[in-house]
Amino acid sequence: MRKATFKGGIHPPENKELSAHIPIEQVNSIKKVVIPLNQHFGAPIKPLVAVGDTVKRGQKIADSQDRMTVPLHASISGTVKKIEAHLLVNNMEGPAIFIESNDSNEEEFLPILDPFACSKDEAIARIREAGIIGIGGAGFPAYVKLAPPPDKPIEYVIANAAECEPYLTIDERTMEESPDDVVDGLTIAMHIVKAKHGIIGLEDNKQHLVPILEKAIERKNTSLGFDIKIVLLKTKYPQGGEKMLITAVTGREVPSGKLPMDVACVVSNVGTLKAISEAFRKGRTVVDTALTVSGRACSTPKNLFVPVGTVVQDLIGSVIEVKENEVCRIVMGGPMMGPAVPSAVVPLQKNTSGVLFLNADEAQHYAEGSCIRCGRCMRACSCRLSPALLNRALSINDLDEAVAIGVLDCIECGSCSFVCPAHIQLVQRFRIGKQRVRIKMQKEAQRATK
Amino acid sequence: MLQNNLLLSSSPHVYSKIDTRKIMLAVIIALLPVTVYGVVLFGAHALLVILVSVASAVIFEYVFRLITKQDIRIGDFSAVVTGLLLALILPPSTPIWAAIMGSFAAIVFAKEFFGGLGANPFNPALIGRAILLMSFPQRIGGSWHIPFKAISDATTTATPLTILKLGGSIADVGKSFVEQGVAANADYASILNVLFLGNRAGCIGESSILLILIGFAFLLLVHVIDWIVPVCMVGSAFVLSFILGADPLFAILSGGLVFGAVFMATDYSSSALTVKGKVLFGIGAGAMTIIIRQFGGYPEGVTYGILLMNAITPFLDKLRTKKYGFVKPVKSGGARS
Repeated sequence: MRKATFKGGIHPPENKELSAHIPIEQVNSIKKVVIPLNQHFGAPIKPLVAVGDTVKRGQKIADSQDRMTVPLHASISGTVKKIEAHLLVNNMEGPAIFIESNDSNEEEFLPILDPFACSKDEAIARIREAGIIGIGGAGFPAYVKLAPPPDKPIEYVIANAAECEPYLTIDERTMEESPDDVVDGLTIAMHIVKAKHGIIGLEDNKQHLVPILEKAIERKNTSLGFDIKIVLLKTKYPQGGEKMLITAVTGREVPSGKLPMDVACVVSNVGTLKAISEAFRKGRTVVDTALTVSGRACSTPKNLFVPVGTVVQDLIGSVIEVKENEVCRIVMGGPMMGPAVPSAVVPLQKNTSGVLFLNADEAQHYAEGSCIRCGRCMRACSCRLSPALLNRALSINDLDEAVAIGVLDCIECGSCSFVCPAHIQLVQRFRIGKQRVRIKMQKEAQRATK
Repeated sequence: MLQNNLLLSSSPHVYSKIDTRKIMLAVIIALLPVTVYGVVLFGAHALLVILVSVASAVIFEYVFRLITKQDIRIGDFSAVVTGLLLALILPPSTPIWAAIMGSFAAIVFAKEFFGGLGANPFNPALIGRAILLMSFPQRIGGSWHIPFKAISDATTTATPLTILKLGGSIADVGKSFVEQGVAANADYASILNVLFLGNRAGCIGESSILLILIGFAFLLLVHVIDWIVPVCMVGSAFVLSFILGADPLFAILSGGLVFGAVFMATDYSSSALTVKGKVLFGIGAGAMTIIIRQFGGYPEGVTYGILLMNAITPFLDKLRTKKYGFVKPVKSGGARS
C-alpha cells in the first residue's frame, strides 16, 4: 500500500496512547444541557420550542428555511427551561436552549429510509433533517457538500480518517467499533453524488484498523460493488486538513479560493459518515457529541458519546476525573487548532471532537523573540506560504504583499507557530491579518460602489 | 469549579522544543572539531585569539544593549557563534587587539546597529574579517604560520592560494608542503590529501575539509541548516574554475571555500530564505569567490563573494515557492480573483 502525503507539515507528540485503547462510553446521566442554536457554519436558525415545553430526545427544537442551515434536536428528554445567551466554545456568547432532564430515556426517531431506493432529493433532505454537520472541522452542513451544482461532477468521496490532531482518538475508536457504519455512510455519500471512487484516508499510526476496515468494505461490496480503497497516509500534521488530504490521495490541489468540489472531491469525516448511515438506517438525528477527553491533567482519559449541549463542568466528577489544581488550560478540540476556553462552563457542540485538560508541562507559553530567518516555518507550512515573509509584510502593514504571499490561503493549521524557535505568534497574527485584509477589501468595495 | 488560573490563548497550544538557543548551541558543537584542530595546528596563540574573540563579542553585545536600553540577549549564544566564527576565519598570528577590533566591528557595526539578532543584512563575522583585512593588510593575511610550529618561531610561509596569486603553480604548492614537512611527496595526490586533511597554513578553522564536513553532517542531521546553499556554492565554484581553466578540485579544497559554504553562507539572517533564493545565493557566492580569486586583488574571495550575495538577499526573498493551489492572477497588481 502506498503512503501518500503532502508537502510541509510537522510531527507534534501524538499523545494518543492516553485514550486510544479505551472503548467509547455512552453517557446517559446528564441532567441538563445548554444546546447552542448555531453550531453549523452558515445562516442562524430559530427555536421551534418555547420555555416550559416538554421535549423528547431526538425532537426537532430549532430550524430555518434559509440555505446553509441545519435543524437542531433536543439531546435529552425534559423541559425547556430558558432560551438565552451562554458562553460558547468559540469564546463568544450565543443563543442557546436550556433543557432540564425528566429522566426519561425516550428518543424520537425519523422513519427509516433506504438510501439506495429513495430519490436524491429525499436523501439530501434526510441528511439535512438529521441535523448533520461536518464534525471534523468548521461544522459545514453535510447536505450542502453532497449537493454540488450540476456542473461540478464528483469523482471521489474521501473519508477523512487521518485524525492528525494530537490526543484525539475518537475517530480511531469509531472506526474500530463501528466500521460497518462508516463504510455504509461512505457508500451512501458516493451514491448520492454519483462518485466512482471512495477512499478512506488513514494515517499510518492507525494501521491496525486496515484489516478491520477491509473486512467492512468486503461485507459491503459483496452486496453493492462500490470501489472503495484504503489509502495509508504518512502520520503528519495537518494530514487531516481537507486540502492536504485531497492532495495526498488524489494528487490534485484545490485552487486558491475554490472548494473541494472544484477538483471533483467531497471530503467527510468518519464520524459524519457514521451519522449519515444512522440517519437512514435508524432514523437517528444528531443528539450526541462523540469526543475524546484527555490531557495529562485529566486522570481518566476517555472516549465518550455525550448529549449535545452537555456542559463540560457537569462531566467532571461524575464521568471524568480532573486534577483541578494542575489544569492550566482547557482546550475544546485538538491542541493545534482547538480554542482555549476561560472556564469549564461551556457546552459541547456537535463538532467538538475533544476536551483537553492540559497541565503546565503540556501547554507551555513563551515570550516572543525576534525572527532569526531560520526558515523552519517555510518548510512546515502546509500551504507552501512563506510565514516569515508574511509576518514581515503584516508587521509593516503591507496588506497587498500579505495577500500576494497568501494570507487568505492560510488554513490556520498552526504548524508555523509550532516550529518557530523564537516562538513568534505567526498563525495568531495571520488570523488577525485575514480580518485586516477583509476589512480593507470591504472598504474598497464600498468606495467603488459610491 | 474550574475557573481560576486558566490560560487563554489562540491555538496552537503545544510547541516544539527547539529554540534559538539550542540552534546556536548546535552550530557551536558543529564548529568544535575545526576549533580544536585549529588550536592543535597553530598552538596557544590561536587558542588565545579564539577565546578573546568570543569573550569580546559577548561583552560588546552585552554593553551595547545595556547602553541602548534593550533587553540583554547574550543567553541565546548568538554572540558566541559570531565571535567563534570570526576567530576561525582569522590567521593564527592575528594580534589580540585586532581580534577585539574585529569582534567590535562584527557585533556593533554589522549586527546591533541593524537591530540585533536576525536583523543583520550582512554576515557579522565576515564584516569583522573584511574590515580587518582592509584596515591592516600587513598584519592580517600578510604572513602565515607553518602548522605545528610555534608562532614565536616567526617561521612564515604562504597559503596555497597566495602561492597561486603570486604566479606559482600547483606544483609549487606541493613543494612548499614538502618544505614545511606536512607532506612526504609533492605529487598531485599528496597535495589534495594535505588540503583535505587540512595540515596546511591558513586561517585557524578553515583548513580541514574533513572536519568541516563532519560539522556539516552534524548540522544536517539536527536540521539546523539544509544542503542547498553549501552544495550550490561549492558546485558553482567547481564548475566555474573548470570553465576558467583552473584545477577545480584544488579550487574547492584550498582556501576557505568549504568553510564559508557550510558556516557562513548558511547564516540565517543574512542569507536567502526561500528555496529558489538559496539556489541562486549559493551559485552566486561560489561564482563570485572564483571570479575574485582569478581576477581580483585578493588571493581568496569567499569573504567578499558571500558579502556581495548578502546584499542581494532582500531581492532573493521575492523568489517564493508557489503557494498551494496557486492560480495565476488575472490582472497584475490586483488582489486574487
